[in-house]
Amino acid sequence: MASAGSVSSSAAQFSAEPFKAVLRSRKKTPEALERERLVLSHLPPDEVAQGPVRRFLWTQVYKFVLLVIHTLFSIYLRLRWVYNTVYSHAISVLYYHHRTPQLIEKDVRDLKERGKFPKHLSVVLELQRDGLDKLIDELAEIACWCACAGIPRLSVYEKTGILKSYIATSHRAMAQQLRLYFGRSRPTLRVHAPHSRPFANGDVSTDDEDQHVDLEVMFISEEDGRESLVDLTKTLCDMAQRGKLSSDDVSIELVDAEIKETIMDEPDLLVLFSSSITLKGYPPWQLRLTEIYNVQDNQGVGYQVFLRALHRFARTEMRFGR
Amino acid sequence: MQLKELFINSVRQGPVPQHIAFVMDGNRRFARKNHIETAEGHNMGFEALAKILEVCYKSGVKVVTVYAFSIENFKRPLHEVNALMEIAKIKLMQLCQHGDLLERYGASLRVLGQRDLIRQDVLEVIDEAVAMTKDNDRTILNVCFPYTSRHEIASSIRDVVLSDDSSSSDKTAIPGLSDFESITQETLTDHLFTAGCPPLDLLIRTSGVRRLSDFMLWQCHQDTEIVFIDCLWPQFDIWKFLPILIDWGVKRRKMEKLGLVEVKREGEKEDAELNSHRQRELDERRRARTATF
Repeated sequence: MASAGSVSSSAAQFSAEPFKAVLRSRKKTPEALERERLVLSHLPPDEVAQGPVRRFLWTQVYKFVLLVIHTLFSIYLRLRWVYNTVYSHAISVLYYHHRTPQLIEKDVRDLKERGKFPKHLSVVLELQRDGLDKLIDELAEIACWCACAGIPRLSVYEKTGILKSYIATSHRAMAQQLRLYFGRSRPTLRVHAPHSRPFANGDVSTDDEDQHVDLEVMFISEEDGRESLVDLTKTLCDMAQRGKLSSDDVSIELVDAEIKETIMDEPDLLVLFSSSITLKGYPPWQLRLTEIYNVQDNQGVGYQVFLRALHRFARTEMRFGR
Repeated sequence: MQLKELFINSVRQGPVPQHIAFVMDGNRRFARKNHIETAEGHNMGFEALAKILEVCYKSGVKVVTVYAFSIENFKRPLHEVNALMEIAKIKLMQLCQHGDLLERYGASLRVLGQRDLIRQDVLEVIDEAVAMTKDNDRTILNVCFPYTSRHEIASSIRDVVLSDDSSSSDKTAIPGLSDFESITQETLTDHLFTAGCPPLDLLIRTSGVRRLSDFMLWQCHQDTEIVFIDCLWPQFDIWKFLPILIDWGVKRRKMEKLGLVEVKREGEKEDAELNSHRQRELDERRRARTATF
């Protein structure tokens, strides 16, 4: 077995022989090919020096493919929008509340018995241009649904904070809407905003903050998010400078207690009425374990979104029709 | 050429998120469903991560942040915590090895979270892995281990409160204790673990759970697009990920047309250096601060 390549020492020749035999056979076994394929796919691509022309051409190809993808995807989005809109309309027809508390109560009774039910619901509303009236109308509707469903706390996030300067107006609008739903004996209502006194307009005595009301509504805005944490930092700096605070004092518990005290606690469920999920500056600290819900391709406030969110929260299947 | 490559290279030509975060949820449920060990489920979760990372970096994403382990996860059974630690140890070393993923895409590894909770032997591996990749400056992989966002925000506040900048004569120094009136949101952002990373564009959580679970609260509550997808993490592959990327791209293009956001294109320029001077400075400040504790 005197091969042409064996000029090395006998010891080396002995160990190298099997490998050379394989090489000499020149035919790769299927397993070897498979191994090679597996390895190659994980190795960086060969650094082929692409000329500028070639690279330019490839870039144009990719750009074209992207255009095709985007076009097809847009068509798909349109179709999905049509499907979702029809579906949502069907649900809102089947589940129309007719401003009847008993119907809404019936819609959620099952959820309360079989699944989780939120104690604190939060919604994000958007102020359209000059749409204060619309905003307050939506707010009043949602407040009524909560009162009917038996959710005791509702917080309303609106980025600009315009609602905070219309607390009395909002209270009046909500009270009016509640009368439409419940008649004369409407649920009691109290409206809060961070850093201001709660407003109940005679529903309950304002002196006693702990007195029970049927529905508590809170208005929050973008400044109650990051800015409140910045303010807290400033306060803590001030305290530290005056020697009233040591390093160990700044903890999650301290921050949490302060935020809870000045702004609000964590909501159980956050309902967005937008088509995709962006939080638009919603207070970050409170979002830790909040379930976030929206309806794909939905535009605008609707009872069906509210109901579907509650179903999702309770992890129960929603039947088609009452 | 593979179809996959064609798609990735095409996506790269359009708007691409600069910073993506993943909550890798569903490994345990996947294991239970397929009757395999929990540890094996986590292993497969890691395989899925490696594949997704490759797609991200190839399509031009600069920073990827993954939620590997929550501080709350220490409440899980001890044997599972230990198994997870072992997997982390092995996989971190594998990731950083010569020629593997991180080196190929010039990614530097950062481990964000409460270090003092990590076992000593795992900590050594982490430090080694971070040191091995620290010169990679094209992309970043943030591994949150063990992390909660509230802890991150609270320690950012503590850092600011404790920052003693009265000794430094530098006028451009960031606001701290001595001039606390000039503290802004950016001050707190710069003291987070993710300081220096571009703003979070996209957050993806698998397994259909619609919660943030104490992850990236500060980073994701403004313009970040949040996607909850109904599949378990080990099943999350390129064909589930690409539609999300394309959807994001279509939306971003619309916003660009309306003039709401700046137009940035990755495909046209070569990989820009990510670690700017600002980032280096931040790193140094952070190191100096942790040393004082």
